[in-house]
Amino acid sequence: MSQTRIQRCLEAGLSVLVGTADAAGRPSCCRGIAISTPDALETITVYVPVATSHEAIQNLATTKKLAVTVTHPRDNFAAQFKGEVVEARLAREDEAPIVKARLDAFADKLERIGVPGRLSRSVTYWPAFAVTMRVEQTFDQTPGPNAGRPVA
Amino acid sequence: MSIRLSDIHRCFQGVIPSIIATADGRGLPNVIYVSQVYVVDDHHVALSRQFFSKTQRNLDENPFACAEVMDPITLQAYRLKLTFLRAERSGPLFDAMSLRIDAIASHTGMAGVFRLIAADVFEVTSAEVVAGFLIGPPANEPMGASLDGLRTEMRGLQWVSDRINRATGLESLLTVVLEALEEYFAFSHTSVLLHDEANHRLTTLASRGYGRSGIGAEVTIGEGLIGTVARERRLLRLSSLDAELRYGRAIRQAAADSSRALQDEIPLPGIPDAQSVLAIPLTVGDRLIGVIAAEDRDPMRFNEWHEAYLEVLANQIALGIDRMIERCDETADAVVPLDAPAPVPAPPTPSRRTRRRLTYYKHDDAIFVDDEYLIRNIPARILWKVLGESMRTGRTEFSNREMRIDPALGLPPVKDNFESRLILLRHRLREKCPDLQIVSTGRGRFALKADAAIEMSER
Repeated sequence: MSQTRIQRCLEAGLSVLVGTADAAGRPSCCRGIAISTPDALETITVYVPVATSHEAIQNLATTKKLAVTVTHPRDNFAAQFKGEVVEARLAREDEAPIVKARLDAFADKLERIGVPGRLSRSVTYWPAFAVTMRVEQTFDQTPGPNAGRPVA
Repeated sequence: MSIRLSDIHRCFQGVIPSIIATADGRGLPNVIYVSQVYVVDDHHVALSRQFFSKTQRNLDENPFACAEVMDPITLQAYRLKLTFLRAERSGPLFDAMSLRIDAIASHTGMAGVFRLIAADVFEVTSAEVVAGFLIGPPANEPMGASLDGLRTEMRGLQWVSDRINRATGLESLLTVVLEALEEYFAFSHTSVLLHDEANHRLTTLASRGYGRSGIGAEVTIGEGLIGTVARERRLLRLSSLDAELRYGRAIRQAAADSSRALQDEIPLPGIPDAQSVLAIPLTVGDRLIGVIAAEDRDPMRFNEWHEAYLEVLANQIALGIDRMIERCDETADAVVPLDAPAPVPAPPTPSRRTRRRLTYYKHDDAIFVDDEYLIRNIPARILWKVLGESMRTGRTEFSNREMRIDPALGLPPVKDNFESRLILLRHRLREKCPDLQIVSTGRGRFALKADAAIEMSER
């Protein structure tokens, strides 16, 4: 994956979607608040609010299979990461500022396209689970004929 | 908490993209945004299939899906558990979803590239509020439209019909229609475009709420939002135009490297930052009369109630316009017989304070005034004829009838929309050359009034 693409996937103000499936293959989705990576997307940690991610965490405990899609609200640039979860834990207090900053950046971006900030900042973000995944596959998810194609 | 889809109808207006998760046969999940989830009925929803994506491949292997939709007013999220039933490639559902996609595709220059392949229909096995999604209780805000019930709707219909019936001419009818839409529905940016069968276009004949009237602006049938509505004869309501166009542009960008040529983007008519659009076809039977377009900066301005109610109202308006056009035709033919004595010449007596240079460009069939575009096609030929006649003979009064029988003007033999062409000509002169006026002088007659020295040339 090119450095440019990696950078775009890590910028502030992204929307984060989380997909999981249970042992019977029944999928579930929820919204994440932030992602981070210590190693240029070899692994990513996605933060999901505890309040809204019970089903996702249950599924991950069983299958460990995770999909995370990040999207820029303004131009729809999007990428999806898939892989196996290596750790799911309650996020630490020292991670709260990162999560809050990402939520604020996302709210700012939404405000620029007409969604009132007071609304987007009313979304629950804490406490959160921090779920770390080893990225096995990355896909271009920008709408269009190339959506869903693997990214080298 | 289980909920009915009809209770969360705002989630399905496409203002906020929805999430859809699927899983392949081995249970590997896939999660993406979809621009809109369509409600089929209280137990079924549909998703648009524009490309053969991973989602569709997963559904072929595993029919289960999960969607999260969001109320655009409160941001409360709802989770739907779905089972894929079938892909529809024709029929009313497909047509309704296709219209929306075709309109956006055409508007972003992607016609034929970005299109609906199928409407994927799902059974909704459960629909629940995502508890704890918001920090506090949802802050419900009042919707823009009144849902006051049948009595109010009937009164509104009566009110608008009454105004239509009292209109004395096509121009006043179009004006009262737009006034009524503003007064009764608070639609503050509206326009009426009438169909010109002769050139397969729609021409803007009245507008309200815009700095520039846009009268004379043309839309080719099938092009852009309004042109698509005209071609399909179906109402279109877009609730988050900006997001839809961003989505279309993202696809356009992604497709830019493909070998197919992309058309130029058609500029949005009216307010540049419109967030919602409602375009209503005006038809009598299968015949297209025109389109009424409304737009607003509020993405939630138009709702299902407007859609349903205005479809009824549009029939009244279309019939009113059609009747008025016919009445203008009959009046003109009845009052001015072929052998009517020629009007007494009355040479124009302009004050000559100003000089106007009008140039007719034969190749473009267009008239420019002082190097600025004025008008083209049939209205241009009408103006050129009466100007030439006036210069040669000093005549200033003319009849609709003599225009109709002049083959050089190219008016269609039936339903020639002569009155609407005169309205257009009058408006364009008012905006671009106010020293020259076309004024009505009675039933089926009009006069040319010049308050400037006119210089005519042809190229």
